[in-house]
Amino acid sequence: MSQANVTLFTVDAVLILDNDSHRILTKYYQPPHPYPNNLFANQYPTIKEQRAFEKGLFDKTHKQGTDIILFDNHVIVYKEVVDVIIYVVGGINENETMLYQVVLALRDSLEILLKHSLDKRTIIDNYDLVSLAVDETVDDGIILETDPTIISARVSRPPAYDTSVKNLDLSEQGLMNAYQLAKERLAERLKQAL
Amino acid sequence: MSYKKNEDLDSGPGGAVMDKMTVFQDCIAGFNASPIQPRKCRVLLTKLTYLLSTGDIFARDESTRLFFSITKLFQHKDIALRQMVYLVIKELARSADDVIMVTSSIMKDTTVGSDVVYRPNAIRTLARIIDASTIQAIERLIKTAIVDKHPVVSSAALISSYHLLPVSREVVRRWTNETQDTVLAQKIFPQAAYGGASGGLGIGPAGPAPSVMTQYHALGLLYQLRSHDRMALIKMIQQLANAGSALKSPAAVVMLIRFVARTIDEDRNMRRPLYSLLEGWLKHKSDMVNFEAAKTILEMRDATDAEVSPAINVLQLFLSSPRFVSRFSAIRILNRFAMIRPQNVNVCNIDIEALINDPNRSIATYAITTLLKTGNEASVDRLMKQITGFMNDISDEFKIIVVDAIRSLCLKFPSKQASMLSFLSGVLRDEGGYEFKRAVVEAMFDLIKFVPDSKEDALAYLCEFIEDCEFTKLAVRILHLLGEEGPSTAHPTKYIRYIYNRVVLENAIVRAAAVTALSKFSLIDDASVEESVKVLLTRCLDDPDDEVRDRAAMALRLSATEKTLAKEYLAPESVPSLVALEQQLILYVTGGPDAAKVAFDISSVPFISKDQADADQFRAKTMATLPILGVSSMESGSVAGSGGVSPSKTPASVGEDFAQKYAAALAKIPEFHPFGAVIRSSRPVPLTESETEYVITGIKHLYNDHLVLQFDVQNTLPDTVLEDVSVIASPNMADDETEPFVEEFIIAIPRLVQESTGTIYVAFSRPCGEENAYTGAVFSNTLRFTSKEIDPTTSEPEEEGYEDEYQVEDIEVGVGDFLVPTYVGNFQHMWDQLSFETSETYSLSGIGSLSEACSSVIESLSMQPLEGSETPLQSATHVLKLFARTLQGGKVVALVRMAYSAKTGVTLKISSRAEDERVAKMVVGGIA
Repeated sequence: MSQANVTLFTVDAVLILDNDSHRILTKYYQPPHPYPNNLFANQYPTIKEQRAFEKGLFDKTHKQGTDIILFDNHVIVYKEVVDVIIYVVGGINENETMLYQVVLALRDSLEILLKHSLDKRTIIDNYDLVSLAVDETVDDGIILETDPTIISARVSRPPAYDTSVKNLDLSEQGLMNAYQLAKERLAERLKQAL
Repeated sequence: MSYKKNEDLDSGPGGAVMDKMTVFQDCIAGFNASPIQPRKCRVLLTKLTYLLSTGDIFARDESTRLFFSITKLFQHKDIALRQMVYLVIKELARSADDVIMVTSSIMKDTTVGSDVVYRPNAIRTLARIIDASTIQAIERLIKTAIVDKHPVVSSAALISSYHLLPVSREVVRRWTNETQDTVLAQKIFPQAAYGGASGGLGIGPAGPAPSVMTQYHALGLLYQLRSHDRMALIKMIQQLANAGSALKSPAAVVMLIRFVARTIDEDRNMRRPLYSLLEGWLKHKSDMVNFEAAKTILEMRDATDAEVSPAINVLQLFLSSPRFVSRFSAIRILNRFAMIRPQNVNVCNIDIEALINDPNRSIATYAITTLLKTGNEASVDRLMKQITGFMNDISDEFKIIVVDAIRSLCLKFPSKQASMLSFLSGVLRDEGGYEFKRAVVEAMFDLIKFVPDSKEDALAYLCEFIEDCEFTKLAVRILHLLGEEGPSTAHPTKYIRYIYNRVVLENAIVRAAAVTALSKFSLIDDASVEESVKVLLTRCLDDPDDEVRDRAAMALRLSATEKTLAKEYLAPESVPSLVALEQQLILYVTGGPDAAKVAFDISSVPFISKDQADADQFRAKTMATLPILGVSSMESGSVAGSGGVSPSKTPASVGEDFAQKYAAALAKIPEFHPFGAVIRSSRPVPLTESETEYVITGIKHLYNDHLVLQFDVQNTLPDTVLEDVSVIASPNMADDETEPFVEEFIIAIPRLVQESTGTIYVAFSRPCGEENAYTGAVFSNTLRFTSKEIDPTTSEPEEEGYEDEYQVEDIEVGVGDFLVPTYVGNFQHMWDQLSFETSETYSLSGIGSLSEACSSVIESLSMQPLEGSETPLQSATHVLKLFARTLQGGKVVALVRMAYSAKTGVTLKISSRAEDERVAKMVVGGIA
């Protein structure tokens, strides 16, 4: 009975694979500071083991669309969207619904961030958004947040412009930008001089 | 300003892989450039992330270089860049050196306003680079962040504290008060979050979203800080449970339920008040809470029927949920419970039946295995009909699971064999691969073996199958079976035709098998059959294949000799133990040229009689039916037993391996040679707790007139050597009048160095003579030794030691040691055959359920349960049927009627019949 997990470590891995079982994003979690006796350590330390696990899992889940499976002593929930599958891997006795909320949160926040075109191409084009979203959902095995609107609000968009002279335009806004830029530069120089 | 994003990422998976070294060089150059270009740098960081998240690993020095060039980016204040910087730093902190250098840069970021998007990222990254020497410095900072009104900041601080637990539990414990305040705090995620930042996202939620996860994080941390203090924990549970709806996060409630489960487990007094909490949570509005509460209730060891029924009702509702995950959770919990108390799950049968063709295979498999446990004879027909309905629409892999399930149903309800057999023969005609056909054929084999009534029909179906069978392996096995079973049927000649057809039509392997099968028919006591077999065999002498010709020639030659001699070769009564044979052969082959000079000695391999092989197989089969889920390597730890696919791992054969190993070890000791061969070795019994200084296990070996107790002693102390280790075992006779066991000698361990294991043998002469053959005794054991500590400076043990004694648990030699569980097909027949009967009534107040009583009776008597009677179907009454053989081969049956009531516990009446009155008495007296 005391086998229930009383730690916050809930998610063993988050995987995003494409429809050929190739990796798009894989995160195998373990505590950042090791526990004695390798408690909670990553069960698949080498790339080879990880790939074998992913391959086996993919073969059992691709085109199944049945959300949940027991595989290799893990409860795994997954969602297949267009040409990608998002997996959340948990311990064998983990609460299935809790894990399912994580995979739903991931999928829905990506839908929001990628403006409802959740597919492999878009994920790779916006890889910064996707990896930040995953980081805002799970932190080394601990579920951070399961509300997709909060997760997506936490992800910053890439900067709109680079501070290079080439991109200057001469509209009013552009001049304002130039002024701003000059101010920044000056401040930076001054800071460095100090 | 058209801008093609992240161009280089185009070469993602499948295409030309992004080159690690190019990215590395670009990053070093890009991050060190001045002025910093935030957009370009973010693209570079993204590429790095891509490499790190798809399995590329940077060497330590590369990581360190990257890490420090990234820290240059702290000079730029673009928040979008900063967030990405933290993501990468967090990743690289594991593999780079001297990461502590950036502490001050990061700490500056953790004190910015709560509405700055990267503040939580900074806090979480800080936890990665801090170590035991610097943790003090961030104490104030974390405390402030924990109580911050912004939920994400607070969560980040709580999680960071959690990650820092292994670094310094002491320091984190100082944050208990802040954590405590956060558990019930309501923190609102602001609507205009980071609105001004980086152009905003424009997806703002309709209203302020309350983020409740902070409660979960705070509760998880609080538990770690308080888990050593049970009173504080109980107080916390009560406080939170009474707070009603203040604990908003479902995840936090799930956590709380797990603490409740722990507490109930450790403190029986808390059981009653905490159960009512669990019951309340069954009605919680979140599914995950319902499941956790139901699971916890059903896992309580002593839950009453009234207590489990609300939980089962809740789960029953979820069985028809549209969500896969909910159905899965519900059936999984019910399945586990059905293994222990099938009668309580009965009520859900109709809903479970609807799940057996669920598109999710795991759900369907759980449904079928659950029904197997809960089903009664009446529902079998309906179940069969339903299964037949969808058999054509499912994959082979799943068909195998279904067939395995049917197979165990057959063994459980032998009277339903006819309908199951027709089902099996039906699917045998269907399309299917080898594995599937094999499963069906094996199921039929089992029927033939264990359900005698089905034999004729099943054989007929199999004959029909081999007429058109594309799998050589299966044809060979079926032919072998026909040879085994055919001659003893009413019309053996019928099978000869089928077998001979194979000789005419098939490939050499099948022909050879057919010839062997045919030769067994020549043993039938009927001159005409014998003659025709001879004619057929003679024809085989012209076969193009030499193996076929050889077999035919040998069979012909044997049939010309004495019947008994021929029988010994063609249909031997006992076969060598294959495990032992293999082991001996390997020893022989690897023994070098010396060993090869003498011929292999087959007599060194123990032979197993057919009866015994059957019993072992039957046990393995019924064990295997429990977790059929093992087939897809799905669940191993949680359901009892191992998977159904690997017969080599079943408990029966493990037992055999044990005995094998001991016999080999004992044979090497010259002192035991006069005793003769070991008749029986028991399983090892632990005599101490597994974490004591000296770990001891005991094994009993019975010889004809002697008893040898084996003690395996493990010295777990790292700094002590034990010398002259022996065990004083003194028998306490149950009955004073019988001749006692007399100790003959002890083989002690002269020296047991630290952290090693040794073996002590104590030999006794057994009370001899007919009337004492089944005398048991209880041995009380004391470990005696001289203990010498190791001098840490020289690593040598000290000269002077001191003598010490260590009391360990008793070993009992009782009924179980004189009986060998044996399988027999027909219990009633056996019962009628045996004459001496005795009976006795017992009342066992300490036992809480019938299934517990069954397993304890089976274990203490060491008898084989028959007709699936080891699992009670009703909770009030049950009849257990048992059979075994004595060490001398005598038969003994026992019929145990039991009744259970909550007030008096289990009352049972055991009646036993045997060939020998004393055996019957012994069995009846064996329950105490």
